[in-house]
Amino acid sequence: MTDKPDDHMIVFEDVSKFYGEILGVNRVTLAIEPGITSLVGPNGSGKTTLMNLMTGLIRPTRGRVSVLGLRPDHPEVFFSKVGYCSQFDSFPSALTGFQFIYSYLRVHGRPKKEAQELAWKALHRVDLLEAAHRKIAAYSKGMRQRVRFAQAIAHEPAVMILDEPLNGLDPMARAETIRLFRQLAEEGLHLIISSHILHEVNDMSDTVILLNNGYVVAEGAIQGVRDEMEEHPMQILIRCDRPGLLAARVFEQDSVVEAKIHKDKHGLFVKTRDADAFYLLLNTIVVQDGLNVESVAPADDDLNAVYQYLIGGGEGA
Amino acid sequence: MAVHEHAYKPYAGPLTPVWSRFLIIPRHAYRDVFASKLYTALFALCFVCPLVMAILIYLHHNLTAMAALSISLKDIVPINGFFFQFFVGTQTFFAFVLTVLMGPPLISRDLANNALPLYLCRPFSRAEYVIGKMSVLLILISAITWIPGELLFLFQSYLEGAGWAASNLWIAGAVFVGSWTWILLLAMLSVTISAWVKWRLAASAALFGLFIISNAIGFMVNGVLQTRWGGLFNLTFIMKTIEDSLFRAPNSAGLPSWMVLPTSAAWIMLALFLAFCLFLLTRRVRAYEVVR
Repeated sequence: MTDKPDDHMIVFEDVSKFYGEILGVNRVTLAIEPGITSLVGPNGSGKTTLMNLMTGLIRPTRGRVSVLGLRPDHPEVFFSKVGYCSQFDSFPSALTGFQFIYSYLRVHGRPKKEAQELAWKALHRVDLLEAAHRKIAAYSKGMRQRVRFAQAIAHEPAVMILDEPLNGLDPMARAETIRLFRQLAEEGLHLIISSHILHEVNDMSDTVILLNNGYVVAEGAIQGVRDEMEEHPMQILIRCDRPGLLAARVFEQDSVVEAKIHKDKHGLFVKTRDADAFYLLLNTIVVQDGLNVESVAPADDDLNAVYQYLIGGGEGA
Repeated sequence: MAVHEHAYKPYAGPLTPVWSRFLIIPRHAYRDVFASKLYTALFALCFVCPLVMAILIYLHHNLTAMAALSISLKDIVPINGFFFQFFVGTQTFFAFVLTVLMGPPLISRDLANNALPLYLCRPFSRAEYVIGKMSVLLILISAITWIPGELLFLFQSYLEGAGWAASNLWIAGAVFVGSWTWILLLAMLSVTISAWVKWRLAASAALFGLFIISNAIGFMVNGVLQTRWGGLFNLTFIMKTIEDSLFRAPNSAGLPSWMVLPTSAAWIMLALFLAFCLFLLTRRVRAYEVVR
């Protein structure tokens, strides 16, 4: 049997979800490939609705959602492929970390021995082996976050939907968790992550989906999204010995809209509509005029800038 | 776009039967319940009545013991339908107490912790979740009602002989059906209230109050409208009518005949009440609350 292209992707086809008269998401069409995909947007933008649609917890009002070619109408197969880590403290009382994961594996239908092995494996992956037999009620916030993540990966799903998975983790645990995300993504898994921490999303994501008011405002690799935002010229900071000379030369290009010399007289801040052309020009100036360049750094090609241009507000989705 | 290895291999081993998975829920609930000495003591107390009744049945058939006590138990406590109806009545009272104590946190705790998505993002339906929660009470109340009731019936049949068993088989049926109507009502009421009332004490009070209020409404309607149909709002009365019919003891409470409800009306009312509970549950037990 040959695989269809949809069998490796999460597909939204013209999906809308309304809660009564309230809009959840509207006319969303997406094809999400394996890797880390981050959902970014302000509160109420539709991130959780999109995640709930992927996990089959809610059904679209219109359109079609399929996850690796599967639909939630076949829960036994569908849910074996999907792992969900909610952002809430959803812990049945009085359970230990091990019991928590073991119980949900049993709900998945895993036999006793298999469930025990997988529970230990998941706890090992999130570094909670020592606390496995302590009650979750006694866990710290970071440990709760990790055990929540462990239950999402325990049944070895192909798609993981992670709602704010980095919340409450200390810097070491964050780094370790991101490393684990990358490892899972490299194994060919889909990781769909919502996060408010833009610089971390920026660092770990292969793709971002920006949402606002229930609409997808942009999707793709961050760099690609930034390149397509022509109405916002790219900002580049060049640290060099003769910024005055550079400033005089850059206006040879029509695409350069602004050049500002840095206060310390050792840098130039350029706004251009065509970054590639600018870099070529910069090379020419370096060769022709012997300009001594210390560094060249794009100032606004990260997620934070993209977020601000498309959605507005400061860092924090 | 990153290049991925696609090393992921999904699980292809055997799975447990789908029907058995709801039993995961009661297992943890029981662990909680029996961790409390109070609940354990109360549960033990629920077996005092079956024990006393087993002793009575034994004494009935032990002439030496009867002679030593110088009493005629056969006249004082005959082993008949009324004996078993008394047993079911007593045990359902204990069942009610257990339900008031154990029922309220069943669903409310999950709702308060937003735990429903965790169950429902697995191959586990809302119906299975509710059945799992109800089974906490179904199993526990069964252990103190129809199971010891049927054991008492078997004990009596063993001592009295096959003839008694054959002619009184309807008692075994009445114990089973009578217990299950109470079990279903209590379990359904309990999980419904648990789904709507998050505060445990308020939920217990609501469960307790429902019987008192329905009783009061029933009597009020009867009194004001000079009718017997007010009894249809009285849960205790409905259950008593059903029980009386099952144990072939019409109007065992000795009410004026104009107040007695037709059995069919009591069954229909019970069915409607359970259906209403089910409707309320479907409105509440969902992964995410729909905002309107």
